[in-house]
Amino acid sequence: MTRWLDSPPVLGILLSIPAIVILGGLLAYPLLLGVWLSLTNTTLGSAGQFVGLSNYLAIAQDPTYRGAVFYSLFYTFFAEVGKLALGLTLALIVNQRFRGYRTARALMLLPYVAPTVLSALAWLWLFDPQFSAISWLLTKMGLIHEYINFIGAPWPARISLIVVNIWRGLPYFAIGYLAGLQAIPHELHEAAQIDGASGWEAFRRITWPLLLPITTILVSFSSIFTLTDFQLIWTITRGGPTDATQVFTTLAYQKAITGGQLGEGAAIAISPVVLMVIFAWFVMRSVREERSVE
Amino acid sequence: MTRTARFFRIGLPLTLYGIFLLLPFYWMLVTTFKERQELLVSPNPFLIYHWTLEHVVGLLTQTRYLHWFGNTLLIALGATLLSVSVSYITAYAIIRLRFPGSKPFGTAIFLCYIVPPAILFIPLGEVLVKLGWFDKLWALIPIYATFLVPFCTWLLIGFLKSIPRELEEAGRVDGASNLLVMRKIILPISVPGLITAAIFSFTLSWNEYLYALVYMSSPDNKTVSVGMTSELISGDVFQWGQLMAGALIGVLPAIVVYFFFVEYYVAGMAGSLKD
Amino acid sequence: MPHLRRRRFLELSAASAAATAIPEAARAAAEASPWKPEKGASLQLLRWSEFVKNDHVIWEENTKKFTQLTGVPVQIQWLSWPDVSPKSALSAQTNSGPDITMGFYNDPFLYPDKLVDVSDLASHLSHKYGGFASVAKTYAYHEGEKRWIGIPIGVPGNAMNFRRDWMEQAGFQSFPDDTEGMLKLAQAMKKQGHPTGFTLGHAVGDGNGWTHWIFWGHGAKQVNPDNSPAINSEATLASIDYVQRLYETMIDGVASWGDPSNNQAFLAGRIGLTMNGISIWYVAKDQYPQIAAAMDHAIPGYGPLRVRTTFNTFTQAFIWKYSKYPNAAKEYIRFMLDEAQAAPWVDGMRGYVTPALQGYWKLPIWTSDKKITPFRDVLVGQRFDGFNGTPGKGAAQTMDSFVLVDMYADVCINKMTPKAAVQKAENRIAGFYKG
Repeated sequence: MTRWLDSPPVLGILLSIPAIVILGGLLAYPLLLGVWLSLTNTTLGSAGQFVGLSNYLAIAQDPTYRGAVFYSLFYTFFAEVGKLALGLTLALIVNQRFRGYRTARALMLLPYVAPTVLSALAWLWLFDPQFSAISWLLTKMGLIHEYINFIGAPWPARISLIVVNIWRGLPYFAIGYLAGLQAIPHELHEAAQIDGASGWEAFRRITWPLLLPITTILVSFSSIFTLTDFQLIWTITRGGPTDATQVFTTLAYQKAITGGQLGEGAAIAISPVVLMVIFAWFVMRSVREERSVE
Repeated sequence: MTRTARFFRIGLPLTLYGIFLLLPFYWMLVTTFKERQELLVSPNPFLIYHWTLEHVVGLLTQTRYLHWFGNTLLIALGATLLSVSVSYITAYAIIRLRFPGSKPFGTAIFLCYIVPPAILFIPLGEVLVKLGWFDKLWALIPIYATFLVPFCTWLLIGFLKSIPRELEEAGRVDGASNLLVMRKIILPISVPGLITAAIFSFTLSWNEYLYALVYMSSPDNKTVSVGMTSELISGDVFQWGQLMAGALIGVLPAIVVYFFFVEYYVAGMAGSLKD
Repeated sequence: MPHLRRRRFLELSAASAAATAIPEAARAAAEASPWKPEKGASLQLLRWSEFVKNDHVIWEENTKKFTQLTGVPVQIQWLSWPDVSPKSALSAQTNSGPDITMGFYNDPFLYPDKLVDVSDLASHLSHKYGGFASVAKTYAYHEGEKRWIGIPIGVPGNAMNFRRDWMEQAGFQSFPDDTEGMLKLAQAMKKQGHPTGFTLGHAVGDGNGWTHWIFWGHGAKQVNPDNSPAINSEATLASIDYVQRLYETMIDGVASWGDPSNNQAFLAGRIGLTMNGISIWYVAKDQYPQIAAAMDHAIPGYGPLRVRTTFNTFTQAFIWKYSKYPNAAKEYIRFMLDEAQAAPWVDGMRGYVTPALQGYWKLPIWTSDKKITPFRDVLVGQRFDGFNGTPGKGAAQTMDSFVLVDMYADVCINKMTPKAAVQKAENRIAGFYKG
């Protein structure tokens, strides 16, 4: 009996049961319910009927939804680019040894660690058109003459939210890249130095290619989170001004929860899954490449 | 490196990053210790002219902050423990035991990662009600596991792959069972990977808001984020001092954890990237 | 500030002293009440967090009295008000949660089938306390099913908040009682360096409050009685023209304003006129005494339509059908709105909540300070948000998607032509009301 239990196939399946139970019951099953919901005309408190893809067709014609698609993608793209560039640079800096490097590494993680709702409130105050400390400082320095309208007009609001997203997610990239950098064998760099390669050349030809797998992983994981960001946007702009910063989740929430249109709300929420499957495909491809190397 | 070169390569960029990353925390700090009037009218918003402990004291005595803090800690630790253990045995099963169907299973787990919570909360709520888990504080532990297990499993798969097979085979020669090998040989080597997964899980559970808001209803079951937003925002009056004080105190446990474990965290991530 | 802490202490101890003594009238009313709590009943109430501290303190104390008298324990869950609707949505969908919810606006009309008929309680309260304000019925009575699905509680009222000192400097002796007059005042104050501030952002209370008032005041309406869009009208364009002129007098950045923003700007002396609840004055009395002395309130003025067209955040209590103790729930609501409990509650809030029961407009608090009086009258002339249609999903979505606020913001901030903005609003309204 114990022998049978210890055989890899049996033990393997046994050990997988907890994950199957948790993910199957609390994730896959509700997700299927959600998909079903999106194919019905369910409203809050009353069961709906199957209506096929008509919710999807309806949202596709809705200008607010199209605006949300645009901003979701815009937000995700620029936030990812920003996090990648700034996170990598920060990792390169703290990868060096200097006095207090450990403190620096711990402190740089703060934005990632702070409860998002509360740090978003701090940003809300920093973006205030009247009381912004940032505007105050820039005015004193003579760089601007009137307070910046951070979140009171469509484009500034869109950009401000991206900045906050970068702020929060940058540490995740920095720590990931730091790990990536430490996984690179020292000998490679030494070899490059012997060859007389400049710092930039060494980075381009050795470091960056070796960081590609972690880049794919960081970007795709983070894109999934960014694309479905809710708390930050909801706290700071609630999708405003004039729906300029509406994204999939805020719109779905508005539709389903405050408006009671569960079916249509579910369709809005499910629609980005296609995009996420694409991101996921990138991750799996990179994981598979690692396997083939192995 | 000369001092100037060092300044340009480390000092200056680090200062700029510091300003960007820590500005909101500085803001929380001054807001916490400044008198209310100063928040709106002050010659220099970055300075504190009249110090006060009123907000911190108010937070600790007029609200149930410590209770919320305890709840959050309990949930975060529970979810971390559950997710890391489940992920570890799952990753071990997928990578080391290679049972039939292990590859598609790994892919399936990964796909779970792409399901955003904001989609799920109505249908998941129905499931919870059927299970009778509604408004049970501990129910948040398995709920959080749904978004923690996929990432942790992925991370640990990478980590376990980097452990040479020979180690295990040596154990097997001694006649040890798979379970024993997993516990006695692989587990100790996996510690950096486990710590990485644990820190990740702890951080995300500590910050979660939506599920804690909608699935818990008794005042006893509030977490820090939910408690603060529900009791320190009175209509259109924000208790800025207390809100920011709570945010700062709320960051503390994570800071402590990171300060001591950041090197492990990096090492663990690095380990899971090596092949 | 030791005096503050001392005052709080006094308030708290006064309240707890009251808890031990249940007024005879309350006891008698409870005994005479037709709703007897079920055996072994216990209740959960979901309530929006207080806007002012005393609301919380006195509500809890009254609840304690209820438990003392009836033996029914009541657990109150306080939630910040925008968080109430996701919880209610989940309750409706899963048939579980609190027994009673205090929600807003169209909430009960999103899931009327899930709510207990409270017609008996509504008529009891209405008879006893001078009837409900006219808008209250729209927010609690289901026309189609001919039954009350909620008990109107009242509104945190919106009135004009202005700086009397600056108004006088600008050459006005009293606050104008029409919107054109107010605009002239706003322009004069702006010339003196004191701008106004009305939010054009997605602020649940403040954004909707002032835009609906101006919109209706010009004779505009979003839908017809059959819920077909009616927004595309000259009246709407006239209201946009007004808002554009008013926007000229506003401080920068109003499109980013949330509900707290105008409070903060007013308390900091940055604006001289806004529309808000009594919270600015309430906070000012404790923390900014000079502002409290210099400011005053007025009822929102007449638009060209020449009838009162106010709009306030309406709240009502509803009982869920899944509740095992509907009679206890009814008795609880009755008890809380009974004079012995409601009077000290309304008084203690210093005018923050204007009750829907008109009998409570006679309480001494409303005339105790002239600055409170305007808030007594804000329910007179209040319309239902989906005027001139019926409550339900269309109205709920129109307001929750900030259609009116966005229409004005589109013109003021996004430089859209008024016609295009109206067209956009009309399309959105048509989408929300269909099906």
